[in-house]
Amino acid sequence: MWRRGVANEHACFVRRTPPGSRRFRRSFRPPSLCRGRPAPDVAFHEGRFGCSRLLDIDHASLGEWATVTTVVEIANFVAVVAADPDLARQASRRLRLHWAPPPLLDDHLGAGGERSGGRGAVLSGRRSDGMSRRYGWPNRLRWGERAGWVIADVSPTRARLWVDTATPEALRGDLAALLSLAPAAIGLSSERSDQEGVSLGRLACDDAAADAALVSRQVGAPVAIWLDADYQRDVDALGLAETWDVAASGGHTLDALALGYGAARPAPAMALLLTGVTESAGAPADRPARSPYRHANPVREDDEGGESGRASDRVRVFAEESFFDEWSRRQASDPLELRLRHLDDRRGQALIEAVRQRAAWHPGPKPDPAEDGVGLLTGRGFAYSHLPDAKGEWESGTRSAWIADVSVDPVTGSVQLTRLVVGQDAGEPVDREVLASALRQQLLPESTLLLRHADGIDEWGEFAAASRATLPAIDALTLDAGGHAPPARMPDALAPNDTADSPVSMPLRLSAQTLASGTAAIANALFDATGQRFREPPFTAARIRAGLCESTGGDARAARSAPFLGRRRWRWVGAAAASLISLGGAAAVGLPWKAAIDPVPRPAANLYSQATIERGRLVAEAGDCAVCHTASQGGAANVGGRAFETPFGIVYSTNLTPDEATGIGRWSYAAFARAMRHGISRDGSHLYPAFPYTAFAKLSDTDLQSLYAYLMAQPAVASPAVDNQMRFPFNIRGLMAGWNLLYHDPKPFTPDPTRSALWNRGAYLAEGAGHCSACHSPRNALGAEKRGDDHLAGALVDGWEAPALSQLSKAPVPWSETALYDYLRTGRAAHHGVAAGPMAPVVAGLGELPESDVRAIAHYVASFMPTAVDAAQASEIADDRLALSAATPPGFDAGERLYNGACASCHEGSDMPVYSRAETSLALNTNLHSARPDNVIQAILDGVVAPSSSGGSAGEMPGFRADFSDSQLTALVSYLRARFAPDQPAWEHLSARIGELRGASSP
Amino acid sequence: MTDSIALRVNGQIRHLSLDPATPLLQVLRNDLCLNGPKYGCGLGQCGACSVLVEGRVARSCVISLGAVAGRDVVTLEGLGESGRLDPVQAAFVECQAAQCGYCLNGMIMTVRGLLNHCAQPSRDQIVSALKYNLCRCGTHVEILEAATLAAELDAAGVAPGGGE
Repeated sequence: MWRRGVANEHACFVRRTPPGSRRFRRSFRPPSLCRGRPAPDVAFHEGRFGCSRLLDIDHASLGEWATVTTVVEIANFVAVVAADPDLARQASRRLRLHWAPPPLLDDHLGAGGERSGGRGAVLSGRRSDGMSRRYGWPNRLRWGERAGWVIADVSPTRARLWVDTATPEALRGDLAALLSLAPAAIGLSSERSDQEGVSLGRLACDDAAADAALVSRQVGAPVAIWLDADYQRDVDALGLAETWDVAASGGHTLDALALGYGAARPAPAMALLLTGVTESAGAPADRPARSPYRHANPVREDDEGGESGRASDRVRVFAEESFFDEWSRRQASDPLELRLRHLDDRRGQALIEAVRQRAAWHPGPKPDPAEDGVGLLTGRGFAYSHLPDAKGEWESGTRSAWIADVSVDPVTGSVQLTRLVVGQDAGEPVDREVLASALRQQLLPESTLLLRHADGIDEWGEFAAASRATLPAIDALTLDAGGHAPPARMPDALAPNDTADSPVSMPLRLSAQTLASGTAAIANALFDATGQRFREPPFTAARIRAGLCESTGGDARAARSAPFLGRRRWRWVGAAAASLISLGGAAAVGLPWKAAIDPVPRPAANLYSQATIERGRLVAEAGDCAVCHTASQGGAANVGGRAFETPFGIVYSTNLTPDEATGIGRWSYAAFARAMRHGISRDGSHLYPAFPYTAFAKLSDTDLQSLYAYLMAQPAVASPAVDNQMRFPFNIRGLMAGWNLLYHDPKPFTPDPTRSALWNRGAYLAEGAGHCSACHSPRNALGAEKRGDDHLAGALVDGWEAPALSQLSKAPVPWSETALYDYLRTGRAAHHGVAAGPMAPVVAGLGELPESDVRAIAHYVASFMPTAVDAAQASEIADDRLALSAATPPGFDAGERLYNGACASCHEGSDMPVYSRAETSLALNTNLHSARPDNVIQAILDGVVAPSSSGGSAGEMPGFRADFSDSQLTALVSYLRARFAPDQPAWEHLSARIGELRGASSP
Repeated sequence: MTDSIALRVNGQIRHLSLDPATPLLQVLRNDLCLNGPKYGCGLGQCGACSVLVEGRVARSCVISLGAVAGRDVVTLEGLGESGRLDPVQAAFVECQAAQCGYCLNGMIMTVRGLLNHCAQPSRDQIVSALKYNLCRCGTHVEILEAATLAAELDAAGVAPGGGE
């Protein structure tokens, strides 16, 4: 029953210093702090107001709290005041109130109710093919723009208030009525400057201000109220200030259009209603102007209300323009054309044509909501307004045409205006730069109110760059005296920071009328993006989300992408199985089974020299035997049992220790060499090429013997083999004979005499023991590495992507031999980042090799890469990349917030050197530029472990598996891609892939 | 367990026989009983665990012990001396910049790191340096005042406490 405290979590009370100063001062406590008022059931319906009636206050319920608090009671208004916000909050929780239920408003509707019944919407005849819609404008657009104190200091003769109201005149009027003071005796101090004025409507901070003023007068002392999202309940309770019914009949051309002005009773501050100062809503809103369109019935003249004005023109334009859009989309026609057909005004037509051309508006409605690949819904909307000038003249009035582009995040519901094309013809020449500048200054507060999303993670007061990246690219155009648009120019995609600095030759205040069509353009764009019609502002994230859930009954994107993925995978597996079966049939005829090689006693430990064993150790390190043949981190090395998921089933690595029963202790060198070169086990059965014997065949006899010596000298560990789980027909090992015939060349390495010794050494290491291509080459349907141009062209391994080492490399800065050497030697390259995932142990292994061998591998691999650049060029490319990623892309609010909270502390630079900061910008990260998101997802899920040989500097990153949900990861990865690889297309099916990788690699 | 790892902490050489993958924060708090650096998020986000490595700010929860082998680490305890506070500490006391105080280690170490690098930072530079240090009490205004004062005290010739 109670709500709203002046308490916030901080014990530091602030108040605003006297007008003129924009600084907050600390350590000032108003003598009294108001706890706020309770929330009776409030009903505000079609201009009539009703609320539950206060019967009784049970003062005894306060107990000992009664001595430190004051209860203010005026009619149905109750508030608790204390010297401390916490006290007030605690006491109010205890206070018991008894209410009578609110009157049933339906019985008291009277004339107001009748008027709202769509009177203006009735069309004579032809109702069968007609359409009627109601649009509304809320009494309170939002609770406020930001949380803060509202302070009132009221004496019997004057009142001072500190409040950031958007509608000072309306508030002053309310306060004058509430306090029985002359408007001149009421001083309002606001931090808002005139330039920031918002013409959209009242905010709930007016209600808080009236509360504070009322209580301050009662207790005779200044009173502060903490304004925050609790006041959202006033926003909901006060309902609509205006409704408009629009009806039409006809087809592609409307035969008849009727506008019906619904109840328009702006609600005063809640305190006036609760205290009974105002019984019903105030005077009806000013009568709006006529419509500029043909066939539009004139607005009824018999509406109540005295002086003429155009306060609700904005709402009328919103209703009418939304309706035109709805109508044309139902007729599957171009909404812009529909307006043109109904306009007689030549200047208006010229303006719409100019805007249409500038924005490259394509006629025809879009059949389905568009999705841009990142998971964002994008849409475009048009709206037009023409309003008479101050004297009521139409010809010299302002015409305004808007085309708005929006992108909607279906996960968070947040909306970003991405582009605006605004054309204006005000009858007098206006410089388009001035118009654009005025739009920039006023659109920010407006769009913040209309589309506000959640606050960022940590705002540093006035220093927060809160307005960053919320402005769209604005393209303004004005018509010259002859009604001609200036030659088209590229839209000026402006950086948000330019706003303050942009030169303004003359000040221009845009009236609410000029901005009138903006709201409708956004609503129409939202429909285009989401398929949902929003007939009342504001278009908050919560409303968009609710609308989307209603339309899809769940996750639209998941429903769309999942079946596609599934189909594709199965078709692929099916083709592989079919061809393998026919191949097996042929092979079985021609190839005999291999014989077993007899077991031998385990060679004596001193059979081989230390030098041979050491050489074998290096071969094992170069080949990373232990990486695959060790089941788990920290477990015994080389005992086997690690699972490898392949398209054909699960293969487990085997025990490589010289255990006689379960390892290779009784393997002769001949058996070992046959396994290494031909992929045939000692017992004659075929090994699967998950074991890269296709590469090991290239090893020299000397290296192979050394490796055998080394393995036999290791401690024996008993560890039985795990049975593979291969699907039929892949579980028939004999079929591998045919595979080998096709894809395996057991010939040892032969140097290329046309190449240098260094290159040949690198080739021997990379293609032999190093088996780089086992991970970095794509495989065909039968699991064989592709050769030729596809050699080292990149592949997927173990949930990670092994990036292309060929011409196909996506690295933003091309790899040079030096960079490759640094990377392989230290696990880090200046313009590329750190080794992670399965590459980390590879780097650790290479750390054991002599420097010359690592250099040879770098030299060999570099010969496949795109043309290398020198150091200066690399730095230049890197600088360009960094500059590209400096701006935040629009439409990724959710991802940006996650990035700022979780990533930016290490991944964003500042003036200060930070030891734990990531040295390489994400803009240079190959993984973010890849065609696949796998490595980015893996790194975020489980972090990056620095290779032990990286020289000690930090290269580590914590994993966020437990901290991010799949949808958060999707938002974050989409943002990273858009910001740091802006020239690459967005990743498709991102959320599905995240789900797969999270499941596949769960620890 | 591997070979012992040597590093200098607050001027003293320490030899530690620990897994090099152990986060530096755990080593400082659990093995060296230095409780100045706080455990906040454990993900490098909040900054409560900040220390100086080679005079530069570092988030000790995301740095492994192996990564600071042979390096110079200064914690909050290493800034001032008994009876003689580091100018940054003095400024934070003077401005009463603590509410709950949990973030203050990070704030003080970050300001120390900033002043080591830039003697007279602008307000924007201070905000930028502290941007990713989270304070949930809302003491931002006082912390900014303290940082400004710290730069003045430093410039007035009070010997800096960080680094060597």
